[in-house]
Amino acid sequence: MIEVKKISKNYGRKKILDDVSFTANKGEVTCLIGINGVGKTTTLKAIMGLTPYKGEILIDDQKMTKDSYEKITFIPDAPTMLPQMTIKQAMVFMSDFYTSWNPERANQLMGFFKLKEENRISELSKGNTAKLNLMLGLSLDVDYVLMDEPFSGIDMFSREQIADVFASHLIEDRGVIITTHEIGDIEHLIDKVILLDNGSVLKEFNTEEMREEEGKSVVDVMREVYQS
Amino acid sequence: MMRYIKLVNFEINRFSKIYLSLLLITLVSQFAGVIIVTKSLLNDARDIMKEERLSEAAYITNYGGIDFNHIANSLLFVGPIALSAVALIFYIFLIWYRDWFGKNTFIYRLLILPTSRLSIYLSKATSIFLMVLGLIAFQIIILPMENALFNSNVPEALLSEMSISTITIANPILSLIIPSTFTQFLISYGIGLMIMSILFTAIMFERSFRIKGIIMGLLYCGIAAVLFLAPVLMEIGNFYFYPNELFGMMLAIGIILTGLSVWLGAWLLKNRVTV
Repeated sequence: MIEVKKISKNYGRKKILDDVSFTANKGEVTCLIGINGVGKTTTLKAIMGLTPYKGEILIDDQKMTKDSYEKITFIPDAPTMLPQMTIKQAMVFMSDFYTSWNPERANQLMGFFKLKEENRISELSKGNTAKLNLMLGLSLDVDYVLMDEPFSGIDMFSREQIADVFASHLIEDRGVIITTHEIGDIEHLIDKVILLDNGSVLKEFNTEEMREEEGKSVVDVMREVYQS
Repeated sequence: MMRYIKLVNFEINRFSKIYLSLLLITLVSQFAGVIIVTKSLLNDARDIMKEERLSEAAYITNYGGIDFNHIANSLLFVGPIALSAVALIFYIFLIWYRDWFGKNTFIYRLLILPTSRLSIYLSKATSIFLMVLGLIAFQIIILPMENALFNSNVPEALLSEMSISTITIANPILSLIIPSTFTQFLISYGIGLMIMSILFTAIMFERSFRIKGIIMGLLYCGIAAVLFLAPVLMEIGNFYFYPNELFGMMLAIGIILTGLSVWLGAWLLKNRVTV
């Protein structure tokens, strides 16, 4: 389980995160939702140790160490490999540094996303870059996957393909934390929602319970909260 | 350890094209220097002999023999050394900033590798140091060839032959980069390592605290420079140290400053840096 305990973060005088707390379990998809600038990406970066913060974050009851990066991976919305690399070279890089690299799954995802090993990263479209990031992240045998806006700025067909990955066995058993604006694409796959506003947790709910008990979808709750 | 070595290899590969270009420029420019400058020196000597109606022996008596020092001081010889030095100093900054800026933010990948941040820091420092040593090794390899080419191009009667060690000692730049004693090696390369670690730490300050970090980095560089030069500055005052005392103090301060800079830089990279 990922436990985020009362984390706070300032950029200069501006408060980005203010006592944010939540948990994300293995086998569940947790979605961080909020309008731009509410601290979704900063939360993911804090979990990955990519930005300093106040508070505590535990991964399976332990603080983040270098070995944690074999258990948890981050898929940002920007290319993370060198532009001059080919996809093949990026895969070799991953297998060189991660013992959790799973080449079979990588090949499976390459086929699924119709990516070609010889393609140079600098020549990939935005959609294919997102697919490459997803392929590199999901080809690690990790327990937790953090995704930052995987649907941002990509076409409908690529979004559908990525959403299909969520529904597949490639995700099950893993704990996923995702930030997205395109909630419609994966609403049916989300287990838990954390609504953020001004760096604080505004509301936290289980999607199934919300549907069953109050008859509301995630989008309904978002409208209720952000338009009130 | 394996990941550290892989990172060093990766960093060197990333710079390999520019690095090989530097080696090629050095090779071509210095050999061209040997040929062009030798020809010009011989033409000058012949002109003087013609004008003053001197024999080769008389020319040698009056003007001295033609030696490799003329080549080693020429722009074609020293230029590529200076160019390589500037390129590597520039690379101290580029090796960090290129990972942050640009379309592809490789720093994301680098900092989430299952290896310690100290390894990442040290791999970058090691790769620069190895590249410096590589350039020096290359210079040591081609210098005897250049000397042999020079010796074969100058008529024996006009030639003042120099050994490699004499050439390196006589030329201030070569004596700096190719130390003749272990102490000199410690001074040249120790100071180089110390400066690199201080600059790395200043970069980490900037990456951690942005605008405030620039001021902190500059302050850190200034304080480090004053500390390192403190024994010399004390001598300007009324203190007096024996040369071995001065050397010992500067060596100790240098080691402490390098260790502190590596520790502080790696700590900032682990705890304060923001992507």
